[in-house]
Amino acid sequence: MKARGWLYLIAATLLAAPWVLPGYALEVAIQVLILALFATAFNLVFAETGLLSFGHAAFFGVGAYTSALLMQRASWPYLLTLPAAVGTAAALALLIGFFSVRTSRIYFTMLTLAFAQLVWAVVHKWYAFTGGDNGVTGLQPGQLWSDPHALYYLALLLTVVTFLLAVRLHLAPFGYALRAIRDNQARAEAVGLSPFGYLLAAFTLSGALAGAAGFLQVAWQRSAFPDFLYWTKSAEVIIATILGGAQSILGPSLGSLVFVELGAFVQSHTEYWPLVLGLVLLGLVLFLPRGLAGLGGARAGD
Amino acid sequence: MLEIKHVSKSFFGFLALDDVSMRVEKGSFHALVGPNGAGKTTLFNVVVGRYPPDGGEVRLEERRTSGLATYRVVRMGLGISFQRSQAFLSMSVLENVMLAVLAHQGRSRALMRSFSAESEAKTTAYELIGWVGLADKTETPTAALPLGDLKRVDIAMALAGKPKLLLLDEPLAGLSRSERVSMVNFIEGLLRGLGITLLFTEHDTDAVLRLADRITVLHQGRVLAEGGPDEIKNDARVIEAFLGEEYAEG
Ligand SMILES: Nc1ncnc2c1ncn2[C@@H]1O[C@H](COP(=O)(O)OP(=O)(O)OP(=O)(O)O)[C@@H](O)[C@H]1O
Ligand SMILES: [Mg+2]
Repeated sequence: MKARGWLYLIAATLLAAPWVLPGYALEVAIQVLILALFATAFNLVFAETGLLSFGHAAFFGVGAYTSALLMQRASWPYLLTLPAAVGTAAALALLIGFFSVRTSRIYFTMLTLAFAQLVWAVVHKWYAFTGGDNGVTGLQPGQLWSDPHALYYLALLLTVVTFLLAVRLHLAPFGYALRAIRDNQARAEAVGLSPFGYLLAAFTLSGALAGAAGFLQVAWQRSAFPDFLYWTKSAEVIIATILGGAQSILGPSLGSLVFVELGAFVQSHTEYWPLVLGLVLLGLVLFLPRGLAGLGGARAGD
Repeated sequence: MLEIKHVSKSFFGFLALDDVSMRVEKGSFHALVGPNGAGKTTLFNVVVGRYPPDGGEVRLEERRTSGLATYRVVRMGLGISFQRSQAFLSMSVLENVMLAVLAHQGRSRALMRSFSAESEAKTTAYELIGWVGLADKTETPTAALPLGDLKRVDIAMALAGKPKLLLLDEPLAGLSRSERVSMVNFIEGLLRGLGITLLFTEHDTDAVLRLADRITVLHQGRVLAEGGPDEIKNDARVIEAFLGEEYAEG
């Protein structure tokens, strides 16, 4: 009963937000949703398989560029570029995952980082196709999606879908199999599970959803930049996830909310955001190793 | 049932298995014994496909298993319980065993069903858990179980695929005296009843002599002797090798 009450309250808040928030705050709220989607997607791999990807920016960025380039060069309507963005991000995740998920933990992290930086370098240098470090700018996602209200609801919809998918996966046999592989890979193989297929499927799904986040970013910024694929973007999603609590299904969203809002607040007052962020992380590691969701005690989703 | 032919395996030049051949007859309880470091676990790891052998091969009912991935060997009808048994520690006893059942049925890939609604697998899992005597601990997180119970969970998971051949690496290690007795009774009673062929290793001589129909003695990576319990008990080479070991340790 209590949980349901909270659910209604959160749903009402999320639905009412665009009509309450002033313009700038609404822009920030959209950023929160985009990062929440991205972090929830990232955590599909991190929490369920224990593998820390340091290359998720590649999927975010490739999703964004797919959407941006299709709009700019082929004049696709914005919404139609969603399946394409998700598709290319999934294909890239399948490729990178194929070479990475077999490796053990630290190598996985380093490999995903290396692959993502490689993709970044290509996007950054390929002026003829991607615009190089100028990015793809001046996009017109159409009248509807230029309205922050509409974009907010689109972002909310995609974030909620991703969230529900994460819950679904957590409770399904597939999620249990992933956690079995995480807990004890040798034992998992000894009951007949083939880790490679499971890990690759989870990684691809996660990458595909990260592509959807990139797709949203394009409408928000009306541009796509190589920064979207840079390792700092991968770090951002890791920080948001750990800040909120990777072990909780709501953690990544909560972390994204705090990360974006705090960032916006601090940046509007000082130029020391990296310093503040460093202090926040330090405090987090020392006092809240399970993230903000750890404050609530119980593990949501279990 | 299981045939091991001229298997060799070395680690960084150290010969852990040296031309090992043996066969496990259908329906038998076959013990693999030998001092620490004899190569027993290594041989198991070759059988289950964890290590590819440097030479030789392993066949389960005529089908080659050596060099295959473990999960493939398992699907061919092999049940495995490791020396260092470890369950999936984030899950309860029931979830561990249910997952093993679903994996064997090829139903563990599902995304659109709920794990907890898999009533058929749940029924099977309850049955397996009952067999290993943990019916009162189905909801206990495995992270909170004592070693003896973990071994039982491990065996329940190994039985989930209705294996033809079960491999148990030191099922009694780390157990107290009373737990040992009940584990021996349990293995005897359950596996004989199910008609499962068993290949196991064990340092507890009494337990080996009580359970095994046939014994292979491994020493420094080589088969030293093979025979029935009475033959092995009185084999001069075996006595010498083991005595030598004890003197060396003392
Ligand atoms: N992965 C490995 N890398 C290097 N050496 C290994 C490896 N696995 C086993 N060995 C070596 O091979 C030899 C045989 O080890 P193994 O674990 O098979 O012995 P065992 O008969 O099972 O002993 P125990 O009774 O102590 O379990 C040992 O000397 C061991 O150090
Ligand atoms: Mg051993």
